[in-house]
Amino acid sequence: MNREPITTSASRVRQVEAIANGTVIDHIPAEVTLAVARLLTTTDDQVFIGMNLRSTRIGRKGVVKISGRELDVQAAAALALIAPSATICIIRNYEVVGKNQIPIPEVFADVAACANPNCVTNHERWPTRFLVIDRNPLQVRCHYCERAFAADELTLLR
Amino acid sequence: MNFHGRHIISIADFNRAEILAVLRASRELAERPRPELLAKRQMATLFFEPSTRTRLSFEAAMHRCGGQVIGFSDAASSSTKKGESLADTIRMVEQYADVIVMRHPRDGSARLASSVSRVPVINGGDGANQHPSQTFLDLFTIASLFPQLERGEELKIAFAGDLKYGRTVHSLVTALGHFRVRLLLVAPDGLELPEHYLTEARAAGLEVDILPSLQDAVNQADVLYMTRLQEERFPDPLEFDHIKATYRITAAMLRSARPELRILHPLPRVGEIAPDVDATPHAHYFQQAGNGIPVRQALVGLVTGSLEAKS
Ligand SMILES: [Zn+2]
Repeated sequence: MNREPITTSASRVRQVEAIANGTVIDHIPAEVTLAVARLLTTTDDQVFIGMNLRSTRIGRKGVVKISGRELDVQAAAALALIAPSATICIIRNYEVVGKNQIPIPEVFADVAACANPNCVTNHERWPTRFLVIDRNPLQVRCHYCERAFAADELTLLR
Repeated sequence: MNFHGRHIISIADFNRAEILAVLRASRELAERPRPELLAKRQMATLFFEPSTRTRLSFEAAMHRCGGQVIGFSDAASSSTKKGESLADTIRMVEQYADVIVMRHPRDGSARLASSVSRVPVINGGDGANQHPSQTFLDLFTIASLFPQLERGEELKIAFAGDLKYGRTVHSLVTALGHFRVRLLLVAPDGLELPEHYLTEARAAGLEVDILPSLQDAVNQADVLYMTRLQEERFPDPLEFDHIKATYRITAAMLRSARPELRILHPLPRVGEIAPDVDATPHAHYFQQAGNGIPVRQALVGLVTGSLEAKS
Protein backbone atom coordinates (compact mmCIF):
# COMPACT_ATOMS: atom_id res chain seq x y z
CA MET A 1 0.00 0.00 0.00
CA ASN A 2 1.24 3.40 -0.85
CA ARG A 3 1.54 5.42 2.34
CA GLU A 4 2.70 8.57 0.61
CA PRO A 5 0.14 11.36 0.85
CA ILE A 6 -1.44 11.82 -2.56
CA THR A 7 -0.80 15.34 -3.69
CA THR A 8 -0.54 17.19 -6.91
CA SER A 9 1.19 20.46 -7.26
CA ALA A 10 -2.19 22.14 -7.59
CA SER A 11 -3.76 20.59 -4.50
CA ARG A 12 -0.57 20.77 -2.41
CA VAL A 13 -0.82 24.52 -2.19
CA ARG A 14 -4.20 24.21 -0.52
CA GLN A 15 -3.14 21.48 1.87
CA VAL A 16 -1.71 24.11 4.10
CA GLU A 17 -3.80 27.22 4.53
CA ALA A 18 -2.44 30.20 2.63
CA ILE A 19 -1.63 33.10 4.91
CA ALA A 20 -2.16 36.77 4.14
CA ASN A 21 0.73 38.06 6.20
CA GLY A 22 3.45 36.33 8.12
CA THR A 23 6.20 33.79 7.60
CA VAL A 24 6.43 30.51 5.71
CA ILE A 25 9.21 28.12 6.58
CA ASP A 26 9.39 25.66 3.71
CA HIS A 27 11.55 22.68 2.68
CA ILE A 28 11.86 21.39 6.25
CA PRO A 29 13.04 17.76 6.39
CA ALA A 30 9.79 15.94 7.27
CA GLU A 31 11.03 14.39 10.52
CA VAL A 32 11.92 17.71 12.14
CA THR A 33 8.77 19.62 11.16
CA LEU A 34 7.32 19.66 14.66
CA ALA A 35 10.69 20.52 16.18
CA VAL A 36 10.92 23.52 13.85
CA ALA A 37 7.39 24.61 14.78
CA ARG A 38 8.23 24.29 18.48
CA LEU A 39 11.43 26.25 18.01
CA LEU A 40 10.01 29.21 16.10
CA THR A 41 6.49 29.72 17.37
CA THR A 42 5.01 30.96 20.61
CA THR A 43 1.76 29.85 22.20
CA ASP A 44 0.16 33.08 20.96
CA ASP A 45 0.97 32.48 17.29
CA GLN A 46 -1.58 31.23 14.76
CA VAL A 47 0.33 28.37 13.12
CA PHE A 48 -0.39 26.04 10.20
CA ILE A 49 1.70 22.93 9.88
CA GLY A 50 2.01 20.67 6.87
CA MET A 51 3.80 17.36 7.33
CA ASN A 52 5.07 14.74 4.91
CA LEU A 53 4.35 16.82 1.82
CA ARG A 54 6.04 15.69 -1.35
CA SER A 55 9.06 17.68 -2.39
CA THR A 56 11.12 17.30 -5.52
CA ARG A 57 14.10 18.80 -3.67
CA ILE A 58 14.22 16.76 -0.46
CA GLY A 59 11.72 13.89 -0.85
CA ARG A 60 9.28 14.49 1.94
CA LYS A 61 9.10 17.84 3.56
CA GLY A 62 7.29 19.89 6.13
CA VAL A 63 5.95 23.44 5.96
CA VAL A 64 5.29 25.74 8.91
CA LYS A 65 3.28 28.93 8.38
CA ILE A 66 3.09 31.57 11.05
CA SER A 67 0.23 33.96 10.44
CA GLY A 68 0.59 37.63 11.28
CA ARG A 69 4.21 37.60 12.39
CA GLU A 70 7.39 38.21 10.39
CA LEU A 71 10.13 36.08 11.78
CA ASP A 72 13.50 37.68 12.44
CA VAL A 73 15.76 35.59 10.23
CA GLN A 74 18.73 36.00 12.59
CA ALA A 75 16.57 34.71 15.46
CA ALA A 76 15.88 31.60 13.41
CA ALA A 77 19.59 30.74 13.22
CA ALA A 78 19.07 27.62 15.34
CA LEU A 79 17.36 26.17 12.26
CA ALA A 80 20.82 25.74 10.77
CA LEU A 81 21.36 22.90 13.25
CA ILE A 82 18.27 20.83 12.37
CA ALA A 83 16.99 22.08 9.02
CA PRO A 84 19.79 23.78 7.11
CA SER A 85 17.98 23.20 3.80
CA ALA A 86 14.85 25.10 4.87
CA THR A 87 13.86 28.47 3.42
CA ILE A 88 12.14 31.35 5.17
CA CYS A 89 9.64 33.43 3.18
CA ILE A 90 8.10 36.63 4.46
CA ILE A 91 4.52 37.07 3.18
CA ARG A 92 2.68 40.37 2.88
CA ASN A 93 -0.80 40.46 1.39
CA TYR A 94 -0.36 36.90 -0.01
CA GLU A 95 2.84 37.92 -1.82
CA VAL A 96 6.32 36.65 -1.07
CA VAL A 97 8.32 39.78 -0.27
CA GLY A 98 11.50 38.13 1.01
CA LYS A 99 13.01 34.70 0.65
CA ASN A 100 16.00 33.67 2.77
CA GLN A 101 18.21 30.64 3.15
CA ILE A 102 18.99 29.75 6.75
CA PRO A 103 21.93 31.86 7.93
CA ILE A 104 24.72 30.07 9.80
CA PRO A 105 25.81 32.16 12.80
CA GLU A 106 29.34 32.18 14.29
CA VAL A 107 27.96 30.98 17.61
CA PHE A 108 24.90 29.01 18.69
CA ALA A 109 24.02 30.42 22.10
CA ASP A 110 21.69 28.38 24.30
CA VAL A 111 19.74 26.72 21.51
CA ALA A 112 20.95 23.12 21.76
CA ALA A 113 22.03 20.72 24.49
CA CYS A 114 25.60 19.41 24.47
CA ALA A 115 25.77 15.79 23.32
CA ASN A 116 28.58 15.02 25.77
CA PRO A 117 26.80 13.58 28.82
CA ASN A 118 29.68 14.66 31.07
CA CYS A 119 29.64 18.26 29.82
CA VAL A 120 29.20 20.71 32.67
CA THR A 121 26.28 22.35 30.83
CA ASN A 122 24.29 19.14 31.32
CA HIS A 123 24.83 19.30 35.08
CA GLU A 124 24.69 22.99 36.00
CA ARG A 125 21.95 25.46 35.07
CA TRP A 126 24.07 27.28 32.56
CA PRO A 127 23.48 28.30 28.91
CA THR A 128 25.21 26.23 26.26
CA ARG A 129 27.47 27.77 23.66
CA PHE A 130 28.74 26.20 20.43
CA LEU A 131 31.27 27.74 18.07
CA VAL A 132 31.04 26.93 14.38
CA ILE A 133 34.26 25.22 13.22
CA ASP A 134 33.08 24.06 9.80
CA ARG A 135 30.15 25.19 7.64
CA ASN A 136 29.81 22.45 5.07
CA PRO A 137 28.89 20.09 6.58
CA LEU A 138 28.09 22.07 9.70
CA GLN A 139 30.41 21.20 12.62
CA VAL A 140 30.44 22.93 15.97
CA ARG A 141 32.62 22.82 19.08
CA CYS A 142 31.24 23.13 22.60
CA HIS A 143 32.78 26.22 24.24
CA TYR A 144 32.85 24.34 27.57
CA CYS A 145 33.83 20.68 27.08
CA GLU A 146 35.69 21.42 23.79
CA ARG A 147 34.14 18.42 22.01
CA ALA A 148 33.33 18.77 18.32
CA PHE A 149 29.96 17.64 16.99
CA ALA A 150 28.18 17.37 13.66
CA ALA A 151 25.04 19.51 13.72
CA ASP A 152 22.75 16.48 13.64
CA GLU A 153 24.30 15.08 16.83
CA LEU A 154 22.80 17.93 18.85
CA THR A 155 19.24 18.20 20.13
CA LEU A 156 17.47 21.51 20.42
CA LEU A 157 16.56 22.81 23.85
CA ARG A 158 12.95 23.62 22.93
CA MET B 1 52.01 39.69 25.85
CA ASN B 2 50.10 40.03 29.09
CA PHE B 3 49.25 37.17 31.44
CA HIS B 4 48.03 39.31 34.34
CA GLY B 5 44.44 38.35 35.15
CA ARG B 6 44.37 35.62 32.55
CA HIS B 7 42.69 32.26 33.11
CA ILE B 8 44.59 29.04 32.39
CA ILE B 9 41.87 26.72 31.10
CA SER B 10 43.04 24.85 28.02
CA ILE B 11 46.36 24.46 26.24
CA ALA B 12 44.51 25.31 23.02
CA ASP B 13 44.15 28.90 24.29
CA PHE B 14 47.92 29.51 24.03
CA ASN B 15 50.01 30.35 21.01
CA ARG B 16 53.66 29.46 20.58
CA ALA B 17 55.03 32.75 21.97
CA GLU B 18 52.87 32.43 25.07
CA ILE B 19 53.92 28.82 25.63
CA LEU B 20 57.58 29.84 25.30
CA ALA B 21 57.03 32.65 27.82
CA VAL B 22 55.65 30.16 30.35
CA LEU B 23 58.62 27.84 29.75
CA ARG B 24 61.06 30.69 30.20
CA ALA B 25 59.45 31.88 33.45
CA SER B 26 59.47 28.27 34.69
CA ARG B 27 63.14 27.88 33.83
CA GLU B 28 64.08 31.05 35.69
CA LEU B 29 62.25 29.85 38.79
CA ALA B 30 63.82 26.39 38.55
CA GLU B 31 67.29 27.92 38.35
CA ARG B 32 66.72 30.68 40.86
CA PRO B 33 63.87 30.03 43.32
CA ARG B 34 62.02 33.13 44.56
CA PRO B 35 60.85 32.47 48.16
CA GLU B 36 59.06 35.84 48.34
CA LEU B 37 57.53 35.84 44.86
CA LEU B 38 53.97 35.09 45.96
CA ALA B 39 54.07 36.60 49.45
CA LYS B 40 50.67 38.06 50.41
CA ARG B 41 49.04 36.10 47.58
CA GLN B 42 46.17 33.84 48.48
CA MET B 43 45.32 30.74 46.46
CA ALA B 44 42.02 28.88 46.76
CA THR B 45 42.26 25.21 45.80
CA LEU B 46 38.79 23.89 44.99
CA PHE B 47 38.99 20.14 44.54
CA PHE B 48 35.48 18.96 43.72
CA GLU B 49 37.05 15.56 43.19
CA PRO B 50 40.17 14.36 44.96
CA SER B 51 43.56 14.56 43.26
CA THR B 52 46.22 14.45 45.91
CA ARG B 53 49.13 14.87 43.55
CA THR B 54 47.85 17.92 41.72
CA ARG B 55 46.75 19.60 44.94
CA LEU B 56 50.06 18.91 46.72
CA SER B 57 52.02 20.23 43.76
CA PHE B 58 50.04 23.51 43.63
CA GLU B 59 50.18 23.92 47.39
CA ALA B 60 53.91 23.23 47.59
CA ALA B 61 54.52 25.62 44.69
CA MET B 62 52.57 28.32 46.51
CA HIS B 63 54.14 27.75 49.96
CA ARG B 64 57.69 27.77 48.59
CA CYS B 65 57.06 31.21 47.14
CA GLY B 66 55.65 32.57 50.38
CA GLY B 67 51.99 32.36 49.34
CA GLN B 68 49.01 31.13 51.28
CA VAL B 69 46.48 28.45 50.42
CA ILE B 70 42.86 27.91 51.43
CA GLY B 71 40.46 25.39 50.00
CA PHE B 72 38.80 22.03 50.16
CA SER B 73 39.88 18.69 48.82
CA ASP B 74 36.65 16.87 48.24
CA ALA B 75 33.18 17.89 47.21
CA ALA B 76 31.50 16.11 50.13
CA SER B 77 32.83 18.76 52.50
CA SER B 78 31.96 21.62 50.19
CA SER B 79 28.85 23.61 49.44
CA THR B 80 28.20 21.55 46.28
CA LYS B 81 26.84 18.89 48.59
CA LYS B 82 24.19 21.39 49.71
CA GLY B 83 23.20 21.99 46.08
CA GLU B 84 25.07 25.24 45.49
CA SER B 85 25.78 25.92 41.83
CA LEU B 86 29.37 25.98 40.61
CA ALA B 87 28.94 29.62 39.56
CA ASP B 88 27.86 30.60 43.08
CA THR B 89 30.76 28.70 44.69
CA ILE B 90 33.16 30.63 42.45
CA ARG B 91 31.47 34.01 43.17
CA MET B 92 31.87 33.31 46.89
CA VAL B 93 35.47 32.06 46.76
CA GLU B 94 36.74 34.89 44.56
CA GLN B 95 36.06 37.21 47.52
CA TYR B 96 38.84 35.47 49.47
CA ALA B 97 41.48 34.60 46.91
CA ASP B 98 43.80 36.13 44.31
CA VAL B 99 43.78 32.98 42.21
CA ILE B 100 41.58 29.89 42.06
CA VAL B 101 42.87 26.41 41.22
CA MET B 102 40.06 23.97 40.57
CA ARG B 103 39.64 20.31 39.84
CA HIS B 104 36.17 19.14 38.86
CA PRO B 105 34.70 15.92 37.43
CA ARG B 106 32.72 17.63 34.65
CA ASP B 107 34.17 18.53 31.25
CA GLY B 108 34.11 22.30 30.76
CA SER B 109 33.67 23.18 34.45
CA ALA B 110 36.82 25.32 34.54
CA ARG B 111 35.68 27.30 31.48
CA LEU B 112 32.34 27.91 33.17
CA ALA B 113 34.13 29.04 36.35
CA SER B 114 36.37 31.39 34.38
CA SER B 115 33.34 33.08 32.84
CA VAL B 116 32.06 34.17 36.26
CA SER B 117 35.32 34.67 38.17
CA ARG B 118 36.98 38.07 38.51
CA VAL B 119 40.21 36.43 39.68
CA PRO B 120 42.21 34.08 37.45
CA VAL B 121 41.10 30.45 37.36
CA ILE B 122 43.71 27.75 36.78
CA ASN B 123 42.22 24.47 35.57
CA GLY B 124 43.64 21.59 37.59
CA GLY B 125 41.71 19.06 35.50
CA ASP B 126 38.11 19.22 34.20
CA GLY B 127 36.78 15.71 33.71
CA ALA B 128 38.28 14.08 30.65
CA ASN B 129 38.96 17.42 29.00
CA GLN B 130 42.05 19.45 29.96
CA HIS B 131 44.77 19.72 32.57
CA PRO B 132 46.93 22.56 31.24
CA SER B 133 49.43 22.84 34.11
CA GLN B 134 50.29 19.17 33.50
CA THR B 135 50.79 19.94 29.81
CA PHE B 136 53.05 22.89 30.59
CA LEU B 137 55.13 20.78 32.97
CA ASP B 138 55.38 17.96 30.42
CA LEU B 139 56.53 20.45 27.81
CA PHE B 140 58.92 22.13 30.25
CA THR B 141 60.42 18.73 31.07
CA ILE B 142 60.97 17.93 27.40
CA ALA B 143 62.36 21.39 26.63
CA SER B 144 64.77 21.17 29.60
CA LEU B 145 66.06 17.76 28.51
CA PHE B 146 66.24 18.62 24.82
CA PRO B 147 67.05 22.29 24.12
CA GLN B 148 66.79 21.52 20.40
CA LEU B 149 62.99 21.59 20.84
CA GLU B 150 63.02 25.38 21.16
CA ARG B 151 65.75 25.69 18.52
CA GLY B 152 63.39 24.11 15.99
CA GLU B 153 65.35 20.90 15.45
CA GLU B 154 63.33 17.73 15.08
CA LEU B 155 62.63 15.69 18.17
CA LYS B 156 61.17 12.16 18.16
CA ILE B 157 58.53 11.84 20.82
CA ALA B 158 56.81 8.50 21.34
CA PHE B 159 53.48 8.04 23.07
CA ALA B 160 52.52 4.58 24.29
CA GLY B 161 49.52 3.03 26.00
CA ASP B 162 45.99 4.40 26.13
CA LEU B 163 46.12 7.13 23.52
CA LYS B 164 42.35 7.21 23.10
CA TYR B 165 41.26 8.32 26.55
CA GLY B 166 44.58 9.72 27.80
CA ARG B 167 43.85 13.38 28.44
CA THR B 168 47.51 14.24 29.08
CA VAL B 169 48.46 12.76 25.70
CA HIS B 170 45.84 14.76 23.79
CA SER B 171 46.83 18.08 25.35
CA LEU B 172 50.54 17.45 24.93
CA VAL B 173 50.06 16.50 21.27
CA THR B 174 48.19 19.80 20.79
CA ALA B 175 51.02 21.74 22.46
CA LEU B 176 53.71 19.93 20.44
CA GLY B 177 51.99 21.22 17.31
CA HIS B 178 53.91 24.46 17.94
CA PHE B 179 57.28 22.68 17.60
CA ARG B 180 59.10 20.46 15.14
CA VAL B 181 58.29 16.99 16.33
CA ARG B 182 57.93 13.51 14.90
CA LEU B 183 55.24 11.64 16.80
CA LEU B 184 55.74 7.90 17.26
CA LEU B 185 52.52 6.24 18.37
CA VAL B 186 52.04 2.77 19.88
CA ALA B 187 48.64 1.76 21.21
CA PRO B 188 46.59 -1.41 21.74
CA ASP B 189 43.76 -2.06 19.26
CA GLY B 190 40.84 0.22 20.05
CA LEU B 191 42.92 2.63 22.15
CA GLU B 192 44.63 4.47 19.28
CA LEU B 193 44.88 8.26 19.17
CA PRO B 194 41.48 9.55 17.95
CA GLU B 195 41.43 10.50 14.28
CA HIS B 196 40.80 14.21 14.86
CA TYR B 197 43.98 14.54 16.94
CA LEU B 198 45.93 12.87 14.12
CA THR B 199 44.41 15.27 11.61
CA GLU B 200 45.13 18.22 13.89
CA ALA B 201 48.74 17.09 14.45
CA ARG B 202 49.39 16.67 10.73
CA ALA B 203 47.74 20.01 9.99
CA ALA B 204 50.11 21.59 12.54
CA GLY B 205 53.02 20.14 10.54
CA LEU B 206 53.94 17.18 12.74
CA GLU B 207 55.15 13.94 11.18
CA VAL B 208 53.31 10.92 12.56
CA ASP B 209 54.56 7.32 12.57
CA ILE B 210 52.39 4.49 13.85
CA LEU B 211 54.73 1.86 15.35
CA PRO B 212 54.01 -1.85 15.73
CA SER B 213 55.54 -2.34 19.16
CA LEU B 214 56.76 -0.67 22.30
CA GLN B 215 60.26 -1.96 21.56
CA ASP B 216 60.28 0.02 18.30
CA ALA B 217 59.39 3.14 20.24
CA VAL B 218 62.17 2.46 22.75
CA ASN B 219 64.70 2.02 19.94
CA GLN B 220 63.80 5.17 18.01
CA ALA B 221 62.58 7.84 20.41
CA ASP B 222 64.22 10.74 22.20
CA VAL B 223 61.30 10.88 24.60
CA LEU B 224 58.96 8.03 25.47
CA TYR B 225 55.78 9.25 27.13
CA MET B 226 54.10 6.29 28.84
CA THR B 227 50.49 6.31 30.02
CA ARG B 228 48.48 4.16 32.34
CA LEU B 229 46.22 1.45 30.95
CA GLN B 230 42.91 1.40 32.76
CA GLU B 231 41.29 -1.95 33.30
CA GLU B 232 37.77 -0.54 32.84
CA ARG B 233 38.58 0.19 29.19
CA PHE B 234 38.84 -3.55 28.51
CA PRO B 235 35.65 -5.60 28.54
CA ASP B 236 37.64 -8.83 28.68
CA PRO B 237 39.94 -9.27 31.72
CA LEU B 238 42.10 -11.80 29.82
CA GLU B 239 42.69 -9.27 27.07
CA PHE B 240 43.64 -6.70 29.68
CA ASP B 241 46.21 -9.09 31.20
CA HIS B 242 47.68 -9.73 27.76
CA ILE B 243 47.89 -6.03 26.85
CA LYS B 244 49.32 -5.17 30.25
CA ALA B 245 52.17 -7.59 29.64
CA THR B 246 52.82 -6.08 26.19
CA TYR B 247 52.76 -2.47 27.37
CA ARG B 248 55.41 -2.77 30.03
CA ILE B 249 58.85 -1.24 29.87
CA THR B 250 61.64 -3.17 31.56
CA ALA B 251 65.33 -2.40 32.02
CA ALA B 252 66.11 -5.27 29.61
CA MET B 253 64.14 -3.56 26.83
CA LEU B 254 66.20 -0.43 27.28
CA ARG B 255 69.49 -2.07 26.22
CA SER B 256 68.79 -1.21 22.62
CA ALA B 257 67.58 2.31 23.40
CA ARG B 258 69.45 5.41 22.29
CA PRO B 259 71.52 6.73 25.21
CA GLU B 260 69.64 10.03 25.23
CA LEU B 261 66.19 8.38 25.53
CA ARG B 262 64.20 9.71 28.49
CA ILE B 263 61.01 8.10 29.77
CA LEU B 264 58.20 10.29 31.06
CA HIS B 265 54.93 9.36 32.75
CA PRO B 266 52.24 11.60 34.26
CA LEU B 267 52.08 9.24 37.29
CA PRO B 268 50.79 7.33 39.09
CA ARG B 269 52.20 4.36 37.21
CA VAL B 270 50.73 0.95 37.78
CA GLY B 271 52.55 -1.81 35.93
CA GLU B 272 53.62 -0.08 32.71
CA ILE B 273 57.11 0.84 33.91
CA ALA B 274 58.92 -1.91 35.80
CA PRO B 275 60.68 -0.80 39.02
CA ASP B 276 64.05 -1.89 37.56
CA VAL B 277 63.78 0.99 35.05
CA ASP B 278 64.01 3.53 37.89
CA ALA B 279 67.76 3.00 38.33
CA THR B 280 68.52 3.45 34.61
CA PRO B 281 69.59 6.86 33.26
CA HIS B 282 66.47 6.76 31.06
CA ALA B 283 64.01 7.17 33.94
CA HIS B 284 62.87 10.76 34.27
CA TYR B 285 59.28 10.57 35.57
CA PHE B 286 60.00 11.63 39.15
CA GLN B 287 62.00 14.66 38.01
CA GLN B 288 59.07 15.38 35.67
CA ALA B 289 56.70 15.46 38.65
CA GLY B 290 59.16 17.75 40.46
CA ASN B 291 59.00 20.18 37.54
CA GLY B 292 55.40 20.81 38.59
CA ILE B 293 56.77 23.20 41.23
CA PRO B 294 58.51 25.82 39.06
CA VAL B 295 55.92 25.49 36.30
CA ARG B 296 52.99 26.05 38.67
CA GLN B 297 54.87 28.89 40.37
CA ALA B 298 55.37 30.46 36.96
CA LEU B 299 51.68 30.14 36.04
CA VAL B 300 50.51 31.57 39.36
CA GLY B 301 53.14 34.32 39.22
CA LEU B 302 52.17 35.30 35.69
CA VAL B 303 48.39 35.39 36.18
CA THR B 304 48.58 37.24 39.52
CA GLY B 305 50.88 39.85 38.02
CA SER B 306 53.80 38.87 40.29
CA LEU B 307 55.88 37.90 37.24
CA GLU B 308 56.25 39.73 33.94
CA ALA B 309 55.89 37.64 30.81
CA LYS B 310 59.02 37.91 28.66
CA SER B 311 59.04 36.83 25.07
ZN1 LIG C 1 29.88 20.43 26.00
